[in-house]
Amino acid sequence: MDSSRILDISDVTLRFGGVTALEEVSFSVKSKELFAIIGPNGAGKTSIFNCINGVYKPQNGSILFDGEELIGERPVTVARKGVGRTFQNLGLFMNLNLIDNLLLGRHLQMKTGFFSGALWWGRAKNEEIKNRQKIETIIDLLELQPYRYQPVGLLPYGIQKRVELGRALSMEPRILLLDEPVAGMNLEETEDMARYILEINNELGVSILLVEHDMAMVMDIADCVMALDFGQKIATGSPKEVQSDQRVIAAYLGEAS
Amino acid sequence: MANPSKELKVRYQQDLMIWRTPLLRAGLLTLLFLYILSPVIWESFVVTKFLDDIGLTMTTLNYAGVFAVGAIGLNLLTGYTGQVSLGHSVFVGAGAYFAAYAGSTWDLPFIVWLPGSLLVGFLIGFIVGPLALRLRGNYLVVVTLGLVFLGDHIFRNWKSVTGGSTGVSVTGASLKIGPIDFRNFEVFGHEFEKSQSFFWLIWGFVALVALLVKNIVRTRPGRALQAVRDRDIAAEIIGVDLLHYKTMAFAISSSIAALAGALFGVLQSFISPIDFGLLVAIQYIAIIILGGMGTIHGSIIGALVLGSLPRLVENISRDYDLPGVSGDQGGIGGILSISSLNHIIYGILIAAFLLLEPRGIAGIWMRIKTYFKTWPFSY
Ligand SMILES: Nc1ncnc2c1ncn2[C@@H]1O[C@H](COP(=O)(O)OP(=O)(O)OP(=O)(O)O)[C@@H](O)[C@H]1O
Ligand SMILES: [Mg+2]
Repeated sequence: MDSSRILDISDVTLRFGGVTALEEVSFSVKSKELFAIIGPNGAGKTSIFNCINGVYKPQNGSILFDGEELIGERPVTVARKGVGRTFQNLGLFMNLNLIDNLLLGRHLQMKTGFFSGALWWGRAKNEEIKNRQKIETIIDLLELQPYRYQPVGLLPYGIQKRVELGRALSMEPRILLLDEPVAGMNLEETEDMARYILEINNELGVSILLVEHDMAMVMDIADCVMALDFGQKIATGSPKEVQSDQRVIAAYLGEAS
Repeated sequence: MANPSKELKVRYQQDLMIWRTPLLRAGLLTLLFLYILSPVIWESFVVTKFLDDIGLTMTTLNYAGVFAVGAIGLNLLTGYTGQVSLGHSVFVGAGAYFAAYAGSTWDLPFIVWLPGSLLVGFLIGFIVGPLALRLRGNYLVVVTLGLVFLGDHIFRNWKSVTGGSTGVSVTGASLKIGPIDFRNFEVFGHEFEKSQSFFWLIWGFVALVALLVKNIVRTRPGRALQAVRDRDIAAEIIGVDLLHYKTMAFAISSSIAALAGALFGVLQSFISPIDFGLLVAIQYIAIIILGGMGTIHGSIIGALVLGSLPRLVENISRDYDLPGVSGDQGGIGGILSISSLNHIIYGILIAAFLLLEPRGIAGIWMRIKTYFKTWPFSY
């Protein structure tokens, strides 16, 4: 097996009753690559993420992460292996503030249990301070300094998206799954987000699997693109190749009409 | 310049303090004084004497303290973890009956039967907890409601332990810790009454439980509970094990409930199934709604308000002739008895808070604080 592949997905088929959400989808993400998935609404993009995360169990196929099978594992186990994720419709803990959300991203890096937590002095307190220092670097990286103490539910949508990216990043993941990170954002916010994603990819060396509708952004930042339509792979290649692929154009025109 | 990393560390430490501002620290000191002095001065100092006269006696405060302990436990489960449970009174009952049996029949010392109560509560919660993994929202409410009836059935029929419908005495349970006996509390030869020594005992536990639970909710396990409440799928994907945290929330909450039950037992001296029925379960829910979901101090404030309200209503309607309210509990000579007046006030309070201030008294307090922080700016 090619060891530079961090994620290797082959022949994944996922059905809900009569609906086939994914049909024999195969692709692989190389280590440190920024791999984008595009496709019209309902193409099955989010379903791929849910299969990787262990939220859905595909009927067929295999999902190898670093050579280890993920299908059949619980979401918690997948997280432990180093898979971070953001959600299409925000998966933040809205009543908690930025710090707590980011510290929750470090849940698996931390150890305090109910007993040592209740006693506070000693281990729990040290761990709080140590991890607070870690998340401060993420707050700086994503320029979230002004938002530390409000419940994140009260923050503007664009900032919430960034907080969620920060939470996924504080997991110290080896791969990040980003589900439409710039959906609903204006141009400036989109550019900021693209910059953060590139920084995470280039400087921190985190592999990224990106689902996005914003073509301009995908074409700008992705190393490799896969197009899905009705659960089937219709094209893979460099952004340029995929953009000019006839089936891709047809799929998007079909959606527009 | 000083070592910057050290400065950062100091800053984070300040962030982590519970009593962060001088005002809060002054408040803490006041509370400490009140805790130590109240039993001594309650019936002599003019302000507290007045409170005592209108029904806010030491005994009333002691019952409120018991409710505060139980409410902190329920708030951990419902306010922080988002699992609404109508079964809290059963866990309270389990602790109370255990205290009665282990304290009297087995004659175990205080420092054994009290942790025993906690353990019994923990185990029952640990068994019930996993239900919450399969049942959400209203389904969980209905199942925990079933628990109340199951508990009632057991309390009424396991006569050798519970004394059946008549109930059982808890006066045999020892309250001795080393040289201190809370039943015959003595300092420098001065002997205190039961209501006084129980105040120190019970409110000591309120403080202890509040501190421990506050520590839980501000560290990793407590954050995980709140993550489960806010967004359980996202919680799982960052590595929060739902089964573990829901089970532990139930177990710890019910263990605290059992502690409240044990204290309730020794305070009331005699317990029977009506002390642990649906009405009591609803009372606990009312306390955390009124005080503030997801806050520790709210649980205590809610318990103080709802714990003393019935006594106040009772006293006021006895001393003043309220139209339509009969002067005694029987309801003779009026449309309403005092206890039904109490229930009505309860109902109105819960409804009003749910509609107008779902974050409870703690929420009102928060708003006042924000107002003064940003004063004179109102935006
Ligand atoms: N839990 C589910 N139960 C039933 N059908 C589902 C479920 N999840 C997804 N589907 C179906 O699978 C298909 C793919 O959905 P998916 O959410 O993966 O699409 P998507 O490409 O992410 O679309 P969008 O761009 O709108 O987010 C859709 O037809 C959807 O209705
Ligand atoms: Mg989607």
